[in-house]
Amino acid sequence: MRRHSILLTGATGAVGSDLLRRLATRKDLDLNVLVRRTNVEPCERVKTVLGDLEVLARLNVLDGDICRGPTLGLSDTALTALQRETTHIIHAAGSTSFALPLADARAANVWGSRNVLDFARGCTSLECGAFLSTVYVSGKRRGDFAESDYGDAGRGFVNSYEESKAEMEEMIRQAMNELPLILIRLSTVVGDSATGKVNRFNTIHHAIRLFYSGLAPMIPGDPDEPVDIVSSDFVAAATLNLLDQAPRPGVFHLAAGRDSSNSLQDLIGETMSALSQYRPEWRKRSVERPVIVDLDTYELFVRSVEETGNPVLQGATRAIRSFAYQLAHPKVFETRHAAATLAWNGIAPQPSLAYYPRVVKYCLESNWGMRR
Amino acid sequence: MHSPSHAGIQSIAEYLPAQVASVGDLHDRGLLRGSPDTLRSFGFETVHIAGDESNLDMAIAAAEKVLEESGFDRDDIGMILYAAALNSSSTLWNSNGRSPNGSVLHLESVPDLFKYPASLIQSELDLTHASVVGINQLGCASIFAALRMARALIVAEDDLTAVLCVSADKFPAGRHRDLAYNLVSDGACAAIVRRDGETNRIVECTQVTKGALWDSEEIENEIIAAYFPTAKALVERTLTKAGLVMDDIALVIPHNVSLRSWEILGRLIGCPADRIYTENIARVGHTIASDNLLNLRHATESGAIEKGDYLLLFTFGYGSNWACMIVEH
Repeated sequence: MRRHSILLTGATGAVGSDLLRRLATRKDLDLNVLVRRTNVEPCERVKTVLGDLEVLARLNVLDGDICRGPTLGLSDTALTALQRETTHIIHAAGSTSFALPLADARAANVWGSRNVLDFARGCTSLECGAFLSTVYVSGKRRGDFAESDYGDAGRGFVNSYEESKAEMEEMIRQAMNELPLILIRLSTVVGDSATGKVNRFNTIHHAIRLFYSGLAPMIPGDPDEPVDIVSSDFVAAATLNLLDQAPRPGVFHLAAGRDSSNSLQDLIGETMSALSQYRPEWRKRSVERPVIVDLDTYELFVRSVEETGNPVLQGATRAIRSFAYQLAHPKVFETRHAAATLAWNGIAPQPSLAYYPRVVKYCLESNWGMRR
Repeated sequence: MHSPSHAGIQSIAEYLPAQVASVGDLHDRGLLRGSPDTLRSFGFETVHIAGDESNLDMAIAAAEKVLEESGFDRDDIGMILYAAALNSSSTLWNSNGRSPNGSVLHLESVPDLFKYPASLIQSELDLTHASVVGINQLGCASIFAALRMARALIVAEDDLTAVLCVSADKFPAGRHRDLAYNLVSDGACAAIVRRDGETNRIVECTQVTKGALWDSEEIENEIIAAYFPTAKALVERTLTKAGLVMDDIALVIPHNVSLRSWEILGRLIGCPADRIYTENIARVGHTIASDNLLNLRHATESGAIEKGDYLLLFTFGYGSNWACMIVEH
């Protein structure tokens, strides 16, 4: 059996960093990590992710960029060697910003992925290419969203991230006819289930901060509809297991699904309880639980805040608006395909409320990443 | 054994200064901090501005009017509850020479520290049988506290027949009149709460205080954000305590904050806009603590209320107090 050689993109990102830490300790494979040069050297960026893990020598850190054409910013020699060697690809790079103009989101998520796809076409021994996506390619759909479903069904998207990822999926799905590719759609990743540790703070954590600050009077949604969140350790374990299995081309939902999700009102209630439990002095502030309202009411509130020109409240409502509109289009992500494939190894999402309070605790203790 | 007493808001009168200023006038006179267009889009058009009259003059005028109109024997008024929303209103500030040293806000003047407007009101109105109590520190919710205490005292004390509740506030001259996106008007109101009163029987009174929000200047944004969820929770709690649901409420009698905020709060508490009496928001503006009684009187006169209707009164005392009341008309 050929020794596996994995190319990982997005290794310093929210999901990629967990994958990097797990892959870096495995001695049964070779690991190539494509890292974009910022004002920090690629090796330094990888070191930051690995922390105390003394495994850097086992990695091959490549100074490249998925947005720099089909060569990924590599020399011809390096590119050819990498394509000859690579048996597995995990494409975790991309933009997860909800606020980018569509053109910028496309540049990272569509055109960048096209370059990785072109790279995959040149691989002579590719066994599995995993492209990470989001369950929110479903856009403004409501109700059940299966792994066999795709796109917004004409209902539109909440933000440019969703739209660009849906366009990326279309490209990958077509390529599944010629390449061993899988799409892994992630739900909202909130943190490690054991420690609550957050790799990168996202809109959910920002919402928790607004709750804490008493600056979130209301959010749109349906109190009884489920909110789908997953832990980062589940996502990392499931992704690597899927890659190891190299299943037939298809789509996998790494989501809590109906069974492991909790309702919006339960999640908000748990947030307030956790804030009180882990920061007892916060109770003195008597922050009221945010009201869950219909979208029209929320729009009216947002419009009023915009008219006042109050920058603090504008910032708060805009932050909630960027993700919470998804809550106003409730849906349940079916996970049959992923569950059946992962069940052999006992990998399954935990019930959300079993670990979510630890994430809130981590947010408090780290001051949302400001005190590391 | 006799049945327990109840109390009703029997008579209401208000005093509004004659001088009226439009949003545009206020803008031209430098009395707005924010945009006049925003205030107009929030439903404000004009406010009343006191001239020479002090808040005490306004309080006495409103009280005199309610006593005359009700025909109450002055000797039957056993108590005056003078509710001051602004800190300045609980003093003899700007009281037209009644304090020889001028404003008692000069706290170094020891004699002035013992001169109180409630006693002066009793004297001016010749209500010699009435004891007095001053209520303050609740902002616009002060009059709700007065009505609540009047009801409680009437129930508790057999010989107390009627309580005069008075509130008056005059904003400092030359100051911005837009506060937390609302437009402040000067004015006063007075009401007589009467034992076994059959009009506006007080069914339930509630109040919530969030002391952490006391510094209204420092944490204005948190106060604004707290307004809606706290208001919704309090209205629901009041309805539950009264054994009612929102569909039982014939009319909501609001405080005259922005029409937009009532559109939003109406949605949150499940009350359609046509069951909220908002007619005075544009014309009168926010008279600090006098809005609800003024609106209750006007709604009654307009024929919008029928005997036996349940009415829900709600207000927010800027800073940290929310108050709600249900009355049976």
